[in-house]
Amino acid sequence: MSHRQIALYLVNIPFELVLCGLVYGRGLHRRLPLFAAYATVFLTGTLCFGLIYQHFGYHSSTSYYAGWIISGVNLLGRCLAIAEFCRYSLQEYKGIWGLSWRILGFLAALFLANSAIDSWGQPDWIVSYVLTIERDVGISSAILLLVILLISVYYGVWLEPVQKGIAIGLCVLCVVDAVNDTVLRTIFTEWIFSWSHMRPRVEEVNDWWNTIRTSAFVVSMSMWCFVLRKPLPAPNQEPALLPAEIYAEFSPAVNLRLRAINDRLLELLKP
Amino acid sequence: MKELLILLPFALVVLGLVLWLFRQRATLNSGRSSLENAADKALATHYQFFPQIRQALSPADASYLLRRLPPRIAKKVLRDRRAIARKFLVGLDEDYSNLVRLARTVAALSPVVSHEQETERFLLSLRFRLLYLWTWTRLSTGSVSLEQIERLAVLIGQFATRMERAMAAVAAATTTKGESISRGLSA
Repeated sequence: MSHRQIALYLVNIPFELVLCGLVYGRGLHRRLPLFAAYATVFLTGTLCFGLIYQHFGYHSSTSYYAGWIISGVNLLGRCLAIAEFCRYSLQEYKGIWGLSWRILGFLAALFLANSAIDSWGQPDWIVSYVLTIERDVGISSAILLLVILLISVYYGVWLEPVQKGIAIGLCVLCVVDAVNDTVLRTIFTEWIFSWSHMRPRVEEVNDWWNTIRTSAFVVSMSMWCFVLRKPLPAPNQEPALLPAEIYAEFSPAVNLRLRAINDRLLELLKP
Repeated sequence: MKELLILLPFALVVLGLVLWLFRQRATLNSGRSSLENAADKALATHYQFFPQIRQALSPADASYLLRRLPPRIAKKVLRDRRAIARKFLVGLDEDYSNLVRLARTVAALSPVVSHEQETERFLLSLRFRLLYLWTWTRLSTGSVSLEQIERLAVLIGQFATRMERAMAAVAAATTTKGESISRGLSA
């Protein structure tokens, strides 16, 4: 481990401790239990990393496998936290949530299928697949967060400042991870045949990208700690929904009129 | 590295969009009252000024001015009138947008939403945006007649009147559990 990585590791731990303290202290675990679990898993993972590296050494195979397993658990935790965030944002609006989860599910399935296809036939398929899936999970998570925000803005749904902070932090993590994995995957697939010559260069690049990735975690955790600095406001009042028949009658009538206006506008443009 | 060249701008765009989206204001923070606000805004107003606009832009008036005024001044007057028509078109766009917002509010407050209806409305709004821009450009170059603008205004006006009735029906239905909405819409 380089000095830079050790320094970042030591900076990370207090941030994670403060974050966990704030998540449980402010009662966020009652609203977003999977996000709270993610923060806890993240802290546990970082502590485990430290212990394993100290005991087995940075370049040992145990550290290598432990690193992959902890990264995998963190990734799974983040995916669950994002899914929970999407549901929490729109769950009170049953109609648009019913519409949104299908769009989100479709996008997630599309990216997973893409990573499977993309990694097929690459050298060392499993490692390539893991890097590809990690990259595509990063891209799809960022897109899902973007889509859920677009849907919220489109329908005018109110998001609490805590939700906004959590979403920005998750999005920063996902985007940095996607870029990081793309670089690693490219290095791995393109330079694998000259591995012995390239190894020092690859490790140098890897070191830089780990630094960037850890910095992104610090940025995200700072955002989460910032939005959790004050006690959480009371949850929003559940909106009073309209009877289902109103939409069934109202919506086709509106669309009919909109179509008529568009047709008139089109006529207007005809020479 | 080709992937990275694609991914980096994509990452910046996503982050920028996310930050921009957080600056947008929410309108549904208080359920039923947001429906009332949307309904108030949706009552189109700009089309109501069409008689005055028509008077100001009438072709007879324009030809009279061209005959009577020096060409330079007459041209300036016609240019000013085009500018008024453009402003009026902007107002019509505002009316249209308010009506669409009302439809979205009703959708957001409904327990069941049809994806066909929502997709259709989304596409119609996109199409309107393109047509509106094109009309605005044509109006600026002077190749759209006033009668055509009038027809559009009348249509939006009819639409708004029906919406007004529909909203009254919605208000009644929320108290009597969904009665007579179709009456309001077909009136």
